[in-house]
Amino acid sequence: MPAEVFSAIPRVDARDKVLGNAQYGADVILPGMLYAMLVPARIAKGTMRELDITPATQIAGVIRVLTSKDVSSLAPKISFLGQPIALVVAETIEAAIEGAEALNPVYEKVSFIPLMEGPGATRVPAEGFDAGDVDTAFRDAATIIEGEFETPTQHHNPIELFGTVAEWSGERLTVYEGCQNTEAVKSALAQAFNLSPELVAIKSAYVGGGFGQKSPPKLQTALVAYAARLMQRPVKLVTPRGQLFHITSYRPRSVHHIRLAANASGRMTAISHDVVQENIPNGAFRSSGYHQDIARLYSIENFRATAGDIHIDRQTPRHTRGTHPFPACFALESAIDELAYALGKDPVQIRLDHEAKTDIIARQPLSPHFLNECLTEGARRFDWSRRTPEPGSMRLRDGTMVGLGVACGLFGASGSAAETTLRVRADGTTRVISSGHEMGQGIRTAIANTIVQRLNINPDRLEILIGDTTVGPQMATVGERGTASIVPVTAKAAQALRARFEELAGANPPAGDLHEQLARLKRPYIEVTVSELAPGQDASAIQGFRTAGRAAGAGADYPGFTSMSYIAQFVEIHIEPRTRRIRMPLAVSIADIGRVVSPVTAKGQMYGGMVWGFSTALREETEIDPRFAGYLNDDLADYVMAVNADIGEIDVGLIDKPDPMVNSAGVKGMGELVMLGTAPAIANAIYHATGKRIRKLPIRIEDVL
Amino acid sequence: MRPISYTRAGTLEAAVKAFTAAGADARYLAGGTTLYDLMKLGVERPAHLIDLTGIAGLNIIETDGDVLRFGALALMGDVAYTPAVHEGYPVLSESLLKAASQQLRNMATVGGNLLQRTRCMYFRNGAGSTSTVGVYPCNRRQPGSGCAAIGGLDRGHAVLGASDACTAVSPGDWPVALMAMDATIELFGPGGARSIPIAEFYRLPSDTPHLQFNVDPAELITAITVPKTPGRASTYHKIRDRESFAFALASAAVAVEMDGATVRTARIALGGVATVPWRAQPAEDMVRGKTLTPELALEAGRAAFRGARPGQHNAFKMDLGARVIADALMIAAERRS
Repeated sequence: MPAEVFSAIPRVDARDKVLGNAQYGADVILPGMLYAMLVPARIAKGTMRELDITPATQIAGVIRVLTSKDVSSLAPKISFLGQPIALVVAETIEAAIEGAEALNPVYEKVSFIPLMEGPGATRVPAEGFDAGDVDTAFRDAATIIEGEFETPTQHHNPIELFGTVAEWSGERLTVYEGCQNTEAVKSALAQAFNLSPELVAIKSAYVGGGFGQKSPPKLQTALVAYAARLMQRPVKLVTPRGQLFHITSYRPRSVHHIRLAANASGRMTAISHDVVQENIPNGAFRSSGYHQDIARLYSIENFRATAGDIHIDRQTPRHTRGTHPFPACFALESAIDELAYALGKDPVQIRLDHEAKTDIIARQPLSPHFLNECLTEGARRFDWSRRTPEPGSMRLRDGTMVGLGVACGLFGASGSAAETTLRVRADGTTRVISSGHEMGQGIRTAIANTIVQRLNINPDRLEILIGDTTVGPQMATVGERGTASIVPVTAKAAQALRARFEELAGANPPAGDLHEQLARLKRPYIEVTVSELAPGQDASAIQGFRTAGRAAGAGADYPGFTSMSYIAQFVEIHIEPRTRRIRMPLAVSIADIGRVVSPVTAKGQMYGGMVWGFSTALREETEIDPRFAGYLNDDLADYVMAVNADIGEIDVGLIDKPDPMVNSAGVKGMGELVMLGTAPAIANAIYHATGKRIRKLPIRIEDVL
Repeated sequence: MRPISYTRAGTLEAAVKAFTAAGADARYLAGGTTLYDLMKLGVERPAHLIDLTGIAGLNIIETDGDVLRFGALALMGDVAYTPAVHEGYPVLSESLLKAASQQLRNMATVGGNLLQRTRCMYFRNGAGSTSTVGVYPCNRRQPGSGCAAIGGLDRGHAVLGASDACTAVSPGDWPVALMAMDATIELFGPGGARSIPIAEFYRLPSDTPHLQFNVDPAELITAITVPKTPGRASTYHKIRDRESFAFALASAAVAVEMDGATVRTARIALGGVATVPWRAQPAEDMVRGKTLTPELALEAGRAAFRGARPGQHNAFKMDLGARVIADALMIAAERRS
């Protein structure tokens, strides 16, 4: 089965999205619905001493103001600017906003630590890692490269805001909300309201971009549900972006001190990697995770990682697309470029020469993978051979400086236990009850393609039910494991259904597609339910899947092997001679994601990942004024993300060779992977163009003036 | 609910009358692209809106007479694509087309554009609305409250024309082009009609940064006129943090008249670096009567920033701005014919 190549089908929900028929959480309008608005704390740290709610309740249309007296989560103790202190519920959104703005709490401020530097900021050590003999390798090194690299605080900024609609019917709670982990939201709400979980339904059929921001359960959801129960009416809250900057998670700023050793024959022998990041105490995004992917990228046997956190008085940072490997690859892949110059080697060749076979963390083999094919194919498409290595050696006739850069990225190919129910009906319809969340990545299209390429059914009447806890357990769609987990179980369901059909039809099946055959056999439908485990899992994983999506995950180190997805990025950078405007006329991006299930949406991911990578390298930074600890550029005008006019030609390619060990379909994830490698490739190209090594993102015009 | 009255005026006289009757918290409404934005941010809280878009004839674009005349309600997009402007005056057309997005240019008016407020984030994001969270002092928004930008994140702020009370950048592109082209602003108010040169339209922040325009609050812009010149040798060169939908880090509006390789006259104005649209006289003086070379162009650019006063994070604008002038001079000169 894994040997089969998938042909391309269009994105199955494209038409609905273009026509506006795809319904997101904030689109839901229910009869009698009320509107809510959060009230953000206007201090960074301290205590709210007084909150007189009458200025809000006097406003026509305001029905109720929830405070710490109603909900303990709205505590008067303030830990970060923007922390919700109240929720105003009103008949209209206008009244809710006016009510929220009418409140004027009395605060007692205390001093705070807004950034990693400054008074009170101290480093708290985190768990490190040591493999081989790093000290000896550095002692014996012929060449050592050392540098400090920094990536900034960045926010996810999906277009869809946090939009929640909650409705109670007796003891039954239904929530409509874009999220990446409906099952976790369901458990959190069941616990918060002391309900049996089957009384809670979360509906998240479409998510307008997740990127990690929508993976943890949110306080907002519980507050809206509470308000709806209290009012006995549905309540909607769509939180404005300026507030979201302050209450959602974000990518923490991190500083990486990296040392790289090579021996006399030019082989890389050791990496020493130290990282410190901004965090809160016991924050969910751990500084001990930065080394875990980069230690597996090349065959470098000696690796030492040290890590630390500096606790700041802001909200909690969490996973953001690309997660730990994004900053870590920026550091490592920039340092390798420096090393290539120091050794007089070609940056592509030095990478090809260090192809990894072993996972030095889990001390086991890596499953078959194709980073070197990505590099070779990328170099061919990009015409890497035109590059003259000397910095500043390539110019256009008008003096424009040209730089060509390369870098790689990798991400752990995790998976999840999963379950699928597939029903083909005589009336021409097919229904899949599956698991996962459609965030734009194309999981529905991948599921559809898995079925239509294996079963002779009517593809236009294929219904795919996901992102809804009432249809079946929904796995956490995080860490690029959604498609990689759901495709194998869907393929297995298709196979099981075909087997059942053959059994039913016997030796001489009637003519026509499966629907017609069923009709001739006088059967209204046939249905199969199958489950699939990730390598090394036992039946308890399915139980975990049925109860809480995230507990069912496994990998990237499975018993006996480790599986990673890989990408190689090639970029051409032009820097205008006088104003030094930085442009990217061409990028080539080649990935090894195992078997490609949905070529159209996979390429879409590749384009989007490249644009995101460009944006992280040259555009995005959350600006924090340390005097206030707030995010100053808290809208899409001032938080500068790449736009269409920034992007030149992008050529993407997929190796499309299955990983035979990771799952029965040979599929690995790509959602995180595709944005990796671009930032160091751009920094390396800028060095090639100018001779200036820039170790801090984002790179801006003033850095190359 | 906070009530807002809405009046749709049919004539200039009716608009001014409605405004005068309504008092201080009245605002004229044209394209609405700035006003609604600032209302959501809580920076503007008007009680009375007087809609001007029903006034007949206020959107007329005339290019046949002695001057180019743009009615205040003419849309940015329409002016930019008017053939006489697009072909004959690249500096004007480019200043409009490099601003905002097509959607905004189809709503925003060329008169309203002159009154756009600063994009200083402390000004915009510190007014305590639920759209945002920070609470920042701002002398421009709240006189006497202080300036958070001074000593703060001032990468985007002005290096020219700033005061101890305010360093906010004048955000526009179109006003910069008009400044270079010596435009005249026609006004109508309680005292009747008058016109002023654009150079007198904007006020330096000084110690009253909340007063940005030398215009009575009840006065309306009715038209903008631009003297006809051989305007083809001109450009609006804009460098920004991304290639569309962004305000200038530094921009230059340049129009030259050449005698062969020699500059007869140069008009140069700067955007993105100053508290008002900034005429760069020293740069003009430096190139006048001389053979234009890239070196001279850069020298002229540097001259424009003599006396500039950078903050903590925006010193690069002096260098960048000089380079933008230099490139703009060379682009404009290449277009002569």
